[in-house]
Amino acid sequence: MKLWYSFSKELSLSSKSWYFYIEVGMSVVLLLILLFVIPENFDSNGKQYLYLDLPQVVRDRYEKSLLEEDLDETVELVELEADDRTFAAALYETEESKIYLLDTKEALDAVSESERVPVVHVRVNEDNQIIHTYYLQGYETSKLRNLLMVYHNRLAGHDVIEDYSDNIEVRKLYQEARPLSDKENIIPVFLTFNGSLMSLFIIAAYIFLDKNEGIVKAYAITASSVWHYLLSKIGVIIVTSIVTTLIVTVPIMGLQPNYLAMLLFVVSSGFFAASLGLFLTSFYKDIVEAFGAMYIVIVIMIMPSISYFTPSWDPYWVKIIPSYAMLQSFKEIISVDGNMAYVMVASLGFAVLGLDIFILANYRFKKTLSL
Amino acid sequence: MDEGMNKMIKVSNLYHSYSNDDNYAVKDVSFEIEKGEIFGFLGPSGAGKSTTQNILVGLLQLQQGQVEVAGYDVKHIKNKMFNKIGMSFEQSNVYNKMSGLENLEFYRKLFDVETKDPMDLIKLVGLEGKENIKAGKYSKGMKHRLTFARSMINNPEMWFLDEPTTGLDPAIASEIKDIIKREKEKGVTIFLTTHNMYIADELCDRVAFIVDGTIRLIDSPKALKLKYGEKLVDVEYFKDGELIKDSFSTVIKEEKERLVEVISKYDIQTMHTKEATLEEIFIKVTGRGLV
Repeated sequence: MKLWYSFSKELSLSSKSWYFYIEVGMSVVLLLILLFVIPENFDSNGKQYLYLDLPQVVRDRYEKSLLEEDLDETVELVELEADDRTFAAALYETEESKIYLLDTKEALDAVSESERVPVVHVRVNEDNQIIHTYYLQGYETSKLRNLLMVYHNRLAGHDVIEDYSDNIEVRKLYQEARPLSDKENIIPVFLTFNGSLMSLFIIAAYIFLDKNEGIVKAYAITASSVWHYLLSKIGVIIVTSIVTTLIVTVPIMGLQPNYLAMLLFVVSSGFFAASLGLFLTSFYKDIVEAFGAMYIVIVIMIMPSISYFTPSWDPYWVKIIPSYAMLQSFKEIISVDGNMAYVMVASLGFAVLGLDIFILANYRFKKTLSL
Repeated sequence: MDEGMNKMIKVSNLYHSYSNDDNYAVKDVSFEIEKGEIFGFLGPSGAGKSTTQNILVGLLQLQQGQVEVAGYDVKHIKNKMFNKIGMSFEQSNVYNKMSGLENLEFYRKLFDVETKDPMDLIKLVGLEGKENIKAGKYSKGMKHRLTFARSMINNPEMWFLDEPTTGLDPAIASEIKDIIKREKEKGVTIFLTTHNMYIADELCDRVAFIVDGTIRLIDSPKALKLKYGEKLVDVEYFKDGELIKDSFSTVIKEEKERLVEVISKYDIQTMHTKEATLEEIFIKVTGRGLV
């Protein structure tokens, strides 16, 4: 009963504090970014600029082959701004790239100067050979340069590469799983950092505010246990996390996520993060002293997001950082037919780990009440 | 009846070091407090008053020594102990975002015993009419009174008061002292921590002088005055047109006779009896001031 009184009091106090509105406000900002700034899928089509300095007959063949690959099989006449001048260009849009055919070498040079991308001058030499001259920018890797040379080699050229790549078999590990769009793929990152990991900072702010006002001491001289006080704080943090998680998820994902699993995971991961925050605060007098330790923890927790966006970089040590499991779990939760077994195991793990850290934090707080 | 039953606090050989070495903030402190007694713990800042008090109420962990409060061993504190004790802190520590009344309503729910009506406490400390204002908007004195009122919410048998009148205007301070006296009459035991010797003199049955972590003496203010004070009368009188200032002992026969002579022969301007104050005794005993 005393735990309930403490929790309802904390809930009432947090509704009057800035921190609560900062968290809710941040989740609304993230939602607006997702809705209006981030596209459903990022435009990964590369832009290619070519000047075909070729006899008309060869040029026609080139253009015909481009037209066949164009998505709507029509050429679009556009104007390009480059180097403070305007140039006419023909745009062919294929599945993989946007190809601009320029009319003059001067236009090609201007685009190379202003767009900072490689451009290609295609011409015929004295031996009637088609020569591709690439104007690179200097930042291209040796791998790309080698690839360009191989691509135009007669023996190991693009026909051979195409034959080889066409015969590569691609098998999906989860046949039923529909991949998330680029926009949806960002949601787990927002949920992990705005939901679970912000708990670490916010609970520290709440505790230091109370320490500063001597509230913890006053509470300690009552017949209620210190752990009631600490758990009621965590309860408030978890409620806030649930609210912010739903604010970000529902408008974007609708009914697709497994909300029951999401609720369970937000509670367990929030409990873990808040307990960790409590444990850290028990060593320090105020937030200024604690900031160094908090900063280190947050930086470590950010590392798995690099792996999340760059799957090829996935060393073993990154997988043991808790935010790795948080990111993966949120991803499974919002995916169609996501791996719920992973989410359940992660939830259980965070609950057990959180409980251990909470017990330690409670012990530390009892020892440092007069600080 | 067991003698121990009348002791509300028993402290023996208490040591405490913040750095966990021989640099003790409190050294070999021993004392006992009778049920219904007001015990003053007096000393300058950094003497060890707060350390001792924090150990007694469980805010600091007991490292060495034996401490019993209201029948509970402080080494193994139980929540039940706090039903019997109350503490008024020197620094006000109330929820600023809650009103005075909400503060008291919340704290009363944290005890397992019958509690006082928060509104009665609000009236008792003169905050009537301000009970619904957020505590953050209270003046320093009002917050202090709210903290004081909160310490009474659970009808404590053992009441810890840390500088209870600091920062209060004389009228309010006088009311607070009256409340303390009334609670004592009801049988409440009071541990009063202060460096204000006048308050201690007025309220305490016994006082302990603590300096550099050790208790220098424990006795009643009256006994201390008898032991360390001198009974003097300061007199200012005109003799041959000149203002003379002189002091006369009221216990030495020759001086008493001389005082009578002065009174009968000269024009007296001022005359004051002068007992030694508790502060003077403290300085005499410890060789230290109280600041």
